[in-house]
Amino acid sequence: MAAVAVKYPAFQELGTEVLAASVDSVETHQEWQAKELSRMVKGGALYPMISDPEGKIGRLYGVYDAKTGLDLRSHFVIDPQGIVQAMEIVAAPIGRNVSEILRQLRALQHYQATGDYIPCGWEPGKPTLRKSPDASTTSGKVWEIWKPRNAF
Amino acid sequence: MEIRIGDEAPDFEAQAYHQGHIQTLRLSQYRKKQWVLLLFYPGDFTFV
Repeated sequence: MAAVAVKYPAFQELGTEVLAASVDSVETHQEWQAKELSRMVKGGALYPMISDPEGKIGRLYGVYDAKTGLDLRSHFVIDPQGIVQAMEIVAAPIGRNVSEILRQLRALQHYQATGDYIPCGWEPGKPTLRKSPDASTTSGKVWEIWKPRNAF
Repeated sequence: MEIRIGDEAPDFEAQAYHQGHIQTLRLSQYRKKQWVLLLFYPGDFTFV
Protein backbone atom coordinates (compact mmCIF):
# COMPACT_ATOMS: atom_id res chain seq x y z
CA MET A 1 0.00 0.00 0.00
CA ALA A 2 3.06 2.24 0.42
CA ALA A 3 3.76 1.86 -3.31
CA VAL A 4 0.22 3.03 -4.05
CA ALA A 5 0.84 5.99 -1.72
CA VAL A 6 3.96 6.92 -3.73
CA LYS A 7 1.95 6.91 -6.97
CA TYR A 8 -1.16 8.59 -5.53
CA PRO A 9 -0.43 11.87 -7.39
CA ALA A 10 -0.36 9.93 -10.68
CA PHE A 11 -3.79 8.46 -9.91
CA GLN A 12 -5.10 11.93 -9.09
CA GLU A 13 -3.75 13.25 -12.41
CA LEU A 14 -5.87 10.56 -14.07
CA GLY A 15 -8.98 11.83 -12.27
CA THR A 16 -9.01 8.73 -10.12
CA GLU A 17 -9.72 8.39 -6.41
CA VAL A 18 -8.00 5.53 -4.62
CA LEU A 19 -9.92 3.68 -1.91
CA ALA A 20 -8.00 1.06 0.07
CA ALA A 21 -9.91 -1.44 2.21
CA SER A 22 -8.96 -4.08 4.74
CA VAL A 23 -10.75 -5.66 7.70
CA ASP A 24 -8.71 -3.50 10.10
CA SER A 25 -10.39 -0.78 12.16
CA VAL A 26 -9.95 2.90 11.29
CA GLU A 27 -7.90 3.20 14.50
CA THR A 28 -5.50 0.53 13.23
CA HIS A 29 -5.30 2.31 9.86
CA GLN A 30 -4.39 5.49 11.74
CA GLU A 31 -1.73 3.66 13.75
CA TRP A 32 -0.24 2.03 10.65
CA GLN A 33 -0.17 5.40 8.95
CA ALA A 34 1.62 7.02 11.93
CA LYS A 35 4.05 4.21 12.74
CA GLU A 36 4.99 2.90 9.33
CA LEU A 37 3.50 4.37 6.15
CA SER A 38 4.55 7.92 7.02
CA ARG A 39 8.11 6.65 7.53
CA MET A 40 8.17 5.00 4.10
CA VAL A 41 6.42 7.69 2.05
CA LYS A 42 6.48 11.44 2.59
CA GLY A 43 3.09 12.32 4.08
CA GLY A 44 2.11 8.64 4.20
CA ALA A 45 -1.02 7.37 2.48
CA LEU A 46 -3.14 10.35 1.47
CA TYR A 47 -6.02 8.27 0.10
CA PRO A 48 -9.00 7.13 2.22
CA MET A 49 -8.28 3.89 4.08
CA ILE A 50 -11.55 2.02 4.49
CA SER A 51 -12.34 -0.19 7.44
CA ASP A 52 -14.15 -3.33 6.30
CA PRO A 53 -14.93 -5.21 9.52
CA GLU A 54 -15.99 -8.83 8.89
CA GLY A 55 -15.30 -8.28 5.19
CA LYS A 56 -18.75 -6.92 4.40
CA ILE A 57 -17.51 -4.98 1.36
CA GLY A 58 -15.08 -7.75 0.44
CA ARG A 59 -18.01 -10.17 0.27
CA LEU A 60 -19.87 -7.79 -2.09
CA TYR A 61 -16.87 -7.97 -4.43
CA GLY A 62 -16.19 -11.69 -3.98
CA VAL A 63 -12.76 -11.17 -2.42
CA TYR A 64 -13.44 -11.98 1.24
CA ASP A 65 -11.60 -15.13 2.34
CA ALA A 66 -13.67 -16.74 5.10
CA LYS A 67 -10.82 -19.15 5.95
CA THR A 68 -8.51 -16.35 7.06
CA GLY A 69 -11.14 -13.72 7.80
CA LEU A 70 -9.30 -11.28 5.52
CA ASP A 71 -9.92 -9.49 2.24
CA LEU A 72 -7.75 -10.87 -0.56
CA ARG A 73 -5.26 -8.60 -2.27
CA SER A 74 -7.22 -7.35 -5.27
CA HIS A 75 -8.17 -4.32 -7.29
CA PHE A 76 -11.21 -3.07 -9.18
CA VAL A 77 -11.11 -0.20 -11.67
CA ILE A 78 -14.49 1.54 -11.69
CA ASP A 79 -15.33 4.12 -14.35
CA PRO A 80 -17.29 7.35 -13.71
CA GLN A 81 -20.50 5.56 -14.70
CA GLY A 82 -19.91 3.14 -11.81
CA ILE A 83 -19.03 0.21 -14.10
CA VAL A 84 -16.27 -2.28 -13.28
CA GLN A 85 -13.75 -2.11 -16.15
CA ALA A 86 -10.81 -4.13 -14.76
CA MET A 87 -10.13 -6.39 -11.83
CA GLU A 88 -7.45 -8.63 -10.38
CA ILE A 89 -7.07 -10.92 -7.38
CA VAL A 90 -3.60 -12.03 -6.26
CA ALA A 91 -2.46 -14.51 -3.61
CA ALA A 92 -1.63 -12.75 -0.36
CA PRO A 93 2.16 -13.34 -0.46
CA ILE A 94 2.43 -11.61 -3.86
CA GLY A 95 2.56 -7.83 -4.13
CA ARG A 96 0.71 -6.00 -6.86
CA ASN A 97 2.19 -4.02 -9.76
CA VAL A 98 1.12 -0.40 -9.33
CA SER A 99 2.56 0.61 -12.72
CA GLU A 100 0.34 -1.98 -14.40
CA ILE A 101 -2.74 -0.63 -12.63
CA LEU A 102 -1.86 2.86 -13.87
CA ARG A 103 -1.38 1.46 -17.39
CA GLN A 104 -4.83 -0.15 -17.25
CA LEU A 105 -6.37 3.15 -16.20
CA ARG A 106 -4.62 5.06 -18.99
CA ALA A 107 -5.63 2.40 -21.51
CA LEU A 108 -9.27 2.37 -20.40
CA GLN A 109 -9.43 6.16 -20.48
CA HIS A 110 -7.81 6.23 -23.93
CA TYR A 111 -10.31 3.68 -25.21
CA GLN A 112 -13.27 5.58 -23.77
CA ALA A 113 -12.00 8.85 -25.28
CA THR A 114 -11.12 7.58 -28.76
CA GLY A 115 -12.81 4.20 -29.32
CA ASP A 116 -9.43 2.84 -30.41
CA TYR A 117 -8.51 -0.66 -29.34
CA ILE A 118 -5.52 -0.97 -27.05
CA PRO A 119 -3.03 -3.65 -28.08
CA CYS A 120 -0.99 -5.86 -25.75
CA GLY A 121 1.60 -3.96 -23.73
CA TRP A 122 0.36 -0.55 -24.87
CA GLU A 123 1.73 2.51 -23.14
CA PRO A 124 0.81 6.13 -23.95
CA GLY A 125 2.53 7.13 -27.19
CA LYS A 126 2.47 3.62 -28.65
CA PRO A 127 0.16 2.81 -31.59
CA THR A 128 -3.42 1.78 -30.99
CA LEU A 129 -5.70 -0.10 -33.37
CA ARG A 130 -8.41 1.94 -35.05
CA LYS A 131 -11.73 0.17 -35.05
CA SER A 132 -12.78 -0.35 -38.63
CA PRO A 133 -16.46 0.14 -39.52
CA ASP A 134 -16.12 -3.06 -41.53
CA ALA A 135 -14.47 -5.85 -39.53
CA SER A 136 -13.63 -7.75 -42.72
CA THR A 137 -11.06 -5.11 -43.67
CA THR A 138 -9.00 -5.68 -40.50
CA SER A 139 -9.77 -9.30 -39.68
CA GLY A 140 -6.65 -11.36 -40.39
CA LYS A 141 -4.66 -8.24 -41.28
CA VAL A 142 -3.53 -7.02 -37.87
CA TRP A 143 -0.10 -8.55 -38.64
CA GLU A 144 0.39 -5.87 -41.29
CA ILE A 145 0.09 -2.99 -38.82
CA TRP A 146 1.06 -4.39 -35.41
CA LYS A 147 4.16 -6.38 -34.46
CA PRO A 148 4.66 -8.38 -31.26
CA ARG A 149 7.71 -6.24 -30.45
CA ASN A 150 5.25 -3.35 -29.90
CA ALA A 151 4.13 -5.20 -26.77
CA PHE A 152 7.44 -4.79 -24.96
CA MET B 1 -21.22 -12.56 -4.88
CA GLU B 2 -19.24 -12.56 -8.06
CA ILE B 3 -18.34 -9.46 -10.03
CA ARG B 4 -17.97 -9.47 -13.78
CA ILE B 5 -16.51 -6.86 -16.10
CA GLY B 6 -19.31 -4.55 -17.20
CA ASP B 7 -21.24 -4.96 -13.94
CA GLU B 8 -22.22 -1.99 -11.88
CA ALA B 9 -19.85 -1.83 -8.93
CA PRO B 10 -21.81 -2.67 -5.75
CA ASP B 11 -22.34 0.46 -3.69
CA PHE B 12 -21.32 0.52 -0.04
CA GLU B 13 -20.98 2.88 2.87
CA ALA B 14 -17.94 2.63 5.10
CA GLN B 15 -15.82 4.31 7.72
CA ALA B 16 -12.46 5.50 6.50
CA TYR B 17 -9.33 7.02 7.93
CA HIS B 18 -8.36 9.91 5.67
CA GLN B 19 -5.61 12.45 6.33
CA GLY B 20 -6.05 12.54 10.08
CA HIS B 21 -9.82 12.27 10.14
CA ILE B 22 -12.34 9.49 10.49
CA GLN B 23 -15.08 9.90 7.92
CA THR B 24 -17.98 8.03 6.37
CA LEU B 25 -17.90 7.60 2.62
CA ARG B 26 -20.04 5.97 -0.04
CA LEU B 27 -18.75 4.58 -3.32
CA SER B 28 -21.61 6.28 -5.17
CA GLN B 29 -20.38 9.74 -4.13
CA TYR B 30 -17.73 9.42 -6.88
CA ARG B 31 -20.28 8.55 -9.57
CA LYS B 32 -20.28 10.97 -12.56
CA LYS B 33 -17.23 12.67 -11.05
CA GLN B 34 -14.19 10.42 -11.03
CA TRP B 35 -12.76 7.03 -11.74
CA VAL B 36 -12.23 4.89 -8.64
CA LEU B 37 -9.48 2.39 -7.93
CA LEU B 38 -10.86 0.15 -5.19
CA LEU B 39 -8.09 -1.87 -3.57
CA PHE B 40 -8.42 -4.63 -1.02
CA TYR B 41 -5.46 -5.90 1.00
CA PRO B 42 -5.07 -8.54 3.70
CA GLY B 43 -4.07 -6.24 6.52
CA ASP B 44 -2.22 -3.31 8.04
CA PHE B 45 1.33 -3.94 9.24
CA THR B 46 1.92 -6.66 6.68
CA PHE B 47 5.02 -6.30 4.60
CA VAL B 48 3.97 -7.04 1.02
